Amino acid sequence: MLRNKKIAAVLALVLMFALVVTGCGGQKPAEQGENAVPAKEEIVVAQGADAKSLDPHATNDQPSSRVMKQIYNTLVTANEDMEIVPGLAEKWEQKDEKTWEFDIRKGVKFHNGEELKASDVKFTLERMLKSDKVAHIVEAIESVEAPEDYKVVIKLKEPFGPILSHLSHTAASILNEKAVTEAGDNYGQNPVGTGPFKFSNWQAGDKIELVANEEYFEGAPAIKKVTFRNITEGTNRTIGLETGEVDIAYDIEPIDKDKVRNNEKLTLIEEPSLSLAYIGFNVNKEPFNKKEVRQAINYAINRDDIITAVLNGAGEKAGAPIGPKVFGHNPNIKPYEYNVEKAKELMKQAGLEGGFKTTLWTNDNPVRVQIAQIIQAQLKEIGIDVAIETLEWGSYLDRTARGEHDMFILGWVTVTGDADYGMYALFHSSAKGGAGNRTFYENPQVDELLEKGRTSVDTSEREKAYFEVQKIVVEEAPAANLYYQTQNVGMQKGIKGFRLHPAGHHRLFGVSY
Amino acid sequence: MHKYVFRRLLMLIPVLLGVTFIVFSIMYMTPGDPAQMILGEKAPAEAVERLREEMGLNDPFLMQYGRFVKNAMMGKFGRSYTTNREVFAEIFSRFPATLQLASLGVLIAVAIGIPVGIISATKQYSLFDSISMIAALIGVSMPNFWQGLMLILLFSVYLGWLPSGGYGGFANFILPALTLGTSSAAIITRMTRSSMLEVIRQDYIRTARAKGVNEKTVVNKHALKNALIPVITVVGLQFGYLLGGAVLTETVFSWPGVGRLLVDAIKQKDTPMVQATVVFIAVTFSFVNLGVDILYAFVDPRIKSQYK
Amino acid sequence: MIKMTETQASVPTTPKKRSIWLEVFRRMSKNKMAMFGLAIIIILVLTAVFADVIAPYEEVAIKQNLAQRLQGPSAKHWLGTDEFGRDIFARLVHGARVSLKVGIVAVGISILIGGTLGAVAGYYGGKIDNVIMRAMDIFLAIPSILLAIAIVSALGPSLFNLMLAIGISSVPSYARIVRASVLSLRDQEFIEAARAIGASDFRIVTKHIVPNALAPVIVQGTLGVAGAILSTAGLSFIGLGIQPPAPEWGSMLSGGRAYLRYAWHVTTFPGLLIMITILALNLLGDGLRDALDPKLKQ
Repeated sequence: MLRNKKIAAVLALVLMFALVVTGCGGQKPAEQGENAVPAKEEIVVAQGADAKSLDPHATNDQPSSRVMKQIYNTLVTANEDMEIVPGLAEKWEQKDEKTWEFDIRKGVKFHNGEELKASDVKFTLERMLKSDKVAHIVEAIESVEAPEDYKVVIKLKEPFGPILSHLSHTAASILNEKAVTEAGDNYGQNPVGTGPFKFSNWQAGDKIELVANEEYFEGAPAIKKVTFRNITEGTNRTIGLETGEVDIAYDIEPIDKDKVRNNEKLTLIEEPSLSLAYIGFNVNKEPFNKKEVRQAINYAINRDDIITAVLNGAGEKAGAPIGPKVFGHNPNIKPYEYNVEKAKELMKQAGLEGGFKTTLWTNDNPVRVQIAQIIQAQLKEIGIDVAIETLEWGSYLDRTARGEHDMFILGWVTVTGDADYGMYALFHSSAKGGAGNRTFYENPQVDELLEKGRTSVDTSEREKAYFEVQKIVVEEAPAANLYYQTQNVGMQKGIKGFRLHPAGHHRLFGVSY
Repeated sequence: MHKYVFRRLLMLIPVLLGVTFIVFSIMYMTPGDPAQMILGEKAPAEAVERLREEMGLNDPFLMQYGRFVKNAMMGKFGRSYTTNREVFAEIFSRFPATLQLASLGVLIAVAIGIPVGIISATKQYSLFDSISMIAALIGVSMPNFWQGLMLILLFSVYLGWLPSGGYGGFANFILPALTLGTSSAAIITRMTRSSMLEVIRQDYIRTARAKGVNEKTVVNKHALKNALIPVITVVGLQFGYLLGGAVLTETVFSWPGVGRLLVDAIKQKDTPMVQATVVFIAVTFSFVNLGVDILYAFVDPRIKSQYK
Repeated sequence: MIKMTETQASVPTTPKKRSIWLEVFRRMSKNKMAMFGLAIIIILVLTAVFADVIAPYEEVAIKQNLAQRLQGPSAKHWLGTDEFGRDIFARLVHGARVSLKVGIVAVGISILIGGTLGAVAGYYGGKIDNVIMRAMDIFLAIPSILLAIAIVSALGPSLFNLMLAIGISSVPSYARIVRASVLSLRDQEFIEAARAIGASDFRIVTKHIVPNALAPVIVQGTLGVAGAILSTAGLSFIGLGIQPPAPEWGSMLSGGRAYLRYAWHVTTFPGLLIMITILALNLLGDGLRDALDPKLKQ
């Protein structure tokens, strides 16, 4: 009997241990399902990944930007219509080709109580220029001076047309010098901004909590607490909306959209975004060095099929590499039509009637894998035998940068909403490889036009240059542009004032529930 | 006993050295440039090169590994390439979620597995036995993520009883723990049953029965304690395995556990994070094994003498 | 999952093998569940062999028809169609080829490597044993998912590399099983006899020890095939499965999860088939174990 007691004791111990251990997690009882109260002051936002860091200079990824957008402000802001409007700078003036002067809003307080001064702006931009991750966004800047407490002068290396768009990037969010210096290496987990919400808590991998900044310079937000939850699986974000655990869910899976639309408690909003999905060819390799082959593939791809099957209609066929919401978009460029006969003809001209074998690379993003499969089937029609290779993201970026690929699928988000960001990196010969030009395309005329667009400050002149670039690169087809992705957000019906931002990081200030 | 524990802990050192060496070589040899990953798809080549230099990625392999070992011995595992957080700070912030889930999962598994296994064994070939064995087989054969999704659809969407995911209160634990628990329960049931059967056929049990000891006492007193040893091994293995993180279940339930941390880190080529997580998992695994071995001695005094 | 302790050293002591296997089969044939499992496995293997006869690969299994995507079961498509309008029945039939191959080859790789290491460790003992088994401990401490991802990303994603990845990660358990068997055999009389008549180590190991150590390996291997099929499904879930458009059960299951609520058949049929296969393998494995266990003779 004694032994039996021992066994019982062991089991009891294990049991107690487990209970104690699980009990530890129970301090915060679940608060779901209490939506009886009419006006809620807390909202839960779900997105597909956790933020990496809340230091704008430490990362440049969408999930982080979406959180930082709530915490910080930029000097100037691109609103939901992609117009540049005042942010922390009340007004600005271009003094000469290379000099810009900004008047800083007075009386703006950082979350730590410090007042915003021109020196913070100088500090921020100088720190940004030293960051390998985001320096390229402001590389045009030569120097930043703060002659007065509320005046900043930015000097450029050479004339740079899209400077305001670049300063509106979330990576150019203004930081507080003192807060950054105090937090040191841990600043990314202790962000201090001027925005409508203050950082409160971060359970890594699970959620980030923000609370209202009652002293926000545009007024106190209606929502008092925002929780960003990390829900990787798209299906689960929709389920979260349905069960009421989530109030706003970013990026509803195409297949789930009707579920959200048809749910009387939910709404789905959709709008074109700034992102392009494309197939890139390695123009250095046989047979992709032949323009005819690249065009043939363009004609052989049925973009409508892809948009219907993979995106459930959530996309717009792409002609030009930059979409209609981007400055400089050429509306006269039509997408390649689906025309197998023409494609075969072009293959014949290229001397490849018999087709050829090649590979198409994709990373493990399920949408891209599906697109790859459809393209594989479509190219079979013109005799191209495509093998799909799924690579994990690290080797994908690395090996496409080194030009080891035949064809690849990738996306490009023109976050700044300006053609320069959208095309310079993709088509300028100096950006070959890792910087963005993974097709290794080179055309002196394109280079020249892109440089002109970049350095000119005359809007119509810039537009003309970009129109021309689009015409050339669509005709020469180093890539097959597939579609401009439509972005969507699903949310509870009670949510008011939420607007989609084309760049994908939506503002929660002005939202009420 | 102390000596034994000490010796076991000492043995951990070469194992950890080996583990880190292999992990380091894996991360070194697999394609994908961490610098490129950190800077993203829009980074100019010079910036990547500068960062490589700064991170010491251009140094020869052994030099890099040596540096790692030197820092690790001083307790410095570095900062994550992606989040710039102290790697162990991040692991420790996530470990409670994993530990709690694994404990509850194993608890469920034990609570189901051992009694069902015992009853099945004592009533071999009965209806109960057949049903529970088939249930156990189904439990083993069901892919975890599929089961998890089904549970979510049933209990969160249709019935609305439980949250569909996320880390939080007790209600959040139930579905993921059930998902993990059932597959472990299946394994434990099978183990308990076969180990009980083995013991029941032994001569001393026959003797006890012949002596007229009642069946309940035979099972509880004589059979169970001997049958329990292999069961404890399996429970320990299951616990250790769950502590290493159950990636699929964690993904389905948006659970911020160590398993997902590791997979994300691997995908992002976050070498310091991968190293630290693997070291951490290896150490936890060894501790669980050690715990199991000590538990043996507790259950069976014959074993204790071997630890001297 | 580790079930090796269930197969504790239970080794027939006679060196004759053919008659043993006949005897094992005769004993197993009394076990209805095991025979049921065996029958299912045979049907699956036949399906795999005659897949092209049942449903043409190019025209049906990988042919997309986007107009007919996600249709429920019908007379034309017995088990419905998937997200590309491909016939699920045809894909499952061809998937049997891929999935069984993955399972068997992966286990084969682990038996080959693990078995060799285990045999060497057990036979020579001493330092060699120590070095090999410590190496196995190290391997065991590395999460298998890391190994799998590492192998797949280092060698490139292909069917063989996937099998290699899954195979390598279970090497340590086979090494342990074989080592345990070899240890128990090493000092038996017939081995000593062979040594006395001057047989080489290689001959003793391959002719005498390996055949006798086979039983637990076979049992573990049967269960291992099941485990490998599940691992493939898991790897597909995190995006490292078989390359499309090849049909494989695991990737069909995980690929269809987004459609779970709209087209139940896309995941349900592959899921069921995986379960049935694993069930059958387990039944067979259990039956084999019982049949091989001398203590159960009566």
